[in-house]
Amino acid sequence: MGMQGDFYQLLKEQGYALATSGQVGTGHALTNATTILAFKYRDGVLVAGDRRATAGNMVMYDRTDKVLEIDRHSVMAIAGVPATAYEMVRILEHSFKYYRRTQLQELSFDGKLRAVSKLLKENVPAALAGTGAVVPVFAGYDLEQGSAKIYFYDILGAEFEAVEYAVSGSGSPTIRGILHYLNTWGEQPLNALPEEQAMVQALRLLTSAAEFDSATGGVNREASLYPVIKLITGVGIQTVPDATLKPLYESQVVRYV
Amino acid sequence: MYEEPYRWVEAVGNRRQYLDEQFKQGSPVVALTYEGGILITTVSKGTPKLYEIYDRLALGGMGHPTDLEKLRFSLLEMAHVEGFNRSPSDVTGARLIKNGIAPVIKQAFEEVYKAPFIVRILVAELGQKPEKDALLTINYDGTFEEVTGHAVLAATTAIQAKMLTYLKDQQQATLTLEQALDLTLRVWAIGSLAQQQAEADQDAEAKPTASGAGSVAAVIPSRDALIEHVRGLAGERTIECAILERQAPGTSKYRPLKQAVLLRLLPAALQSVVAH
Repeated sequence: MGMQGDFYQLLKEQGYALATSGQVGTGHALTNATTILAFKYRDGVLVAGDRRATAGNMVMYDRTDKVLEIDRHSVMAIAGVPATAYEMVRILEHSFKYYRRTQLQELSFDGKLRAVSKLLKENVPAALAGTGAVVPVFAGYDLEQGSAKIYFYDILGAEFEAVEYAVSGSGSPTIRGILHYLNTWGEQPLNALPEEQAMVQALRLLTSAAEFDSATGGVNREASLYPVIKLITGVGIQTVPDATLKPLYESQVVRYV
Repeated sequence: MYEEPYRWVEAVGNRRQYLDEQFKQGSPVVALTYEGGILITTVSKGTPKLYEIYDRLALGGMGHPTDLEKLRFSLLEMAHVEGFNRSPSDVTGARLIKNGIAPVIKQAFEEVYKAPFIVRILVAELGQKPEKDALLTINYDGTFEEVTGHAVLAATTAIQAKMLTYLKDQQQATLTLEQALDLTLRVWAIGSLAQQQAEADQDAEAKPTASGAGSVAAVIPSRDALIEHVRGLAGERTIECAILERQAPGTSKYRPLKQAVLLRLLPAALQSVVAH
């Protein structure tokens, strides 16, 4: 019978396997070509990601959504192999729904975190083989505690709680320093930023990442392509529409000298 | 002893009689489409009887709680595995019922050595468009029926027919949630009264002195009398309502109506019983 309300267990009983184990060490090191970030602001947590998908030097796609909603109060931002990442998100989405519907209560926030680690751990063979490494950032609003939370992971499934912010992907080294600087010596710490300022900072950060990392898309005004920005508060998740980002970008991100 | 065909038919017949007995005390379930989706109502006692199955599927049941749980889990399992392996839009009520649990229920019913499922089930499915909304009912013997507009579960088919007649009489083209709630409660009361009547009749049959038991049932009670009936029972029971709401944000369309919402929507006479 197994653990009650465990959807992943149910899938496994039916012969499903997330990771196909390859030969360890045969794969070439894949870069996690992207930039995703999450930080706590005044009302909750902001999660953002650029929209570029690359394969080596090639730009494959410019409209990728890397910030994926799992349920009404949690999102997973993905860096790494998209095929595996999307599959994980699909499993998580169904797992949380299945748990809620069978057990007639929400899965706790800790339970959700555990589910993410478990999938990453199952995926270790593929991650080591170089065919399926995923380095996600999991962010959400813990309704029981009434607070926003951010967690980041390594490819083996180790879970770390981010106090203020978390970043992942190839563009992340650039903005990690900026986030540290902003949070420590900025006009106000990140977690005091009002909603609009938080969005402006997210746009600036992703634009900086795109400046130094060819695999990060940034903003493409000609094509009206803006990053995906989601705000998670106690009420739920809100995706910021391009119509809101456009004026913010034009007035506070583009430098008019 | 059941090897002979006659014995088997007899055993199945006994089973039907036994099962019919089990639903006498059960609470009817009423499902109705309204302008914003589908509403399911019951007045439950003890365990809840309305559940979420999938993004656009809701379940209402009568019968033994353990049997209902067992079938609820099979439905959830099938729906989620299918939704994951194919896509959420491939999870349909008709497939879950017809190919999923109906054969299981029928087999359990006919295997006279084993225990049957003591359940009647109603599955409501919110279509992508209002005209695709569907309601499915399934009986303890595995017989299923697919209808649109409204469906009910009650102790006997005669009582179900009575509830449906009342529903057809009273139903308007489009109902607001408030109107639909009022109507489902009245239909529930029709069913509940008829069940009480049926039990009283049965007792009367046992005592040959009683007279005119059948005539009372023919009169359709007034609106107020029906609401009053619900009010009388609502103390020891709970008014349980859930909706599949077409405009609900996100993929899950199921929403149980909480106390605060019920307080706003219920007919005035019933608000006091929910408030406590």
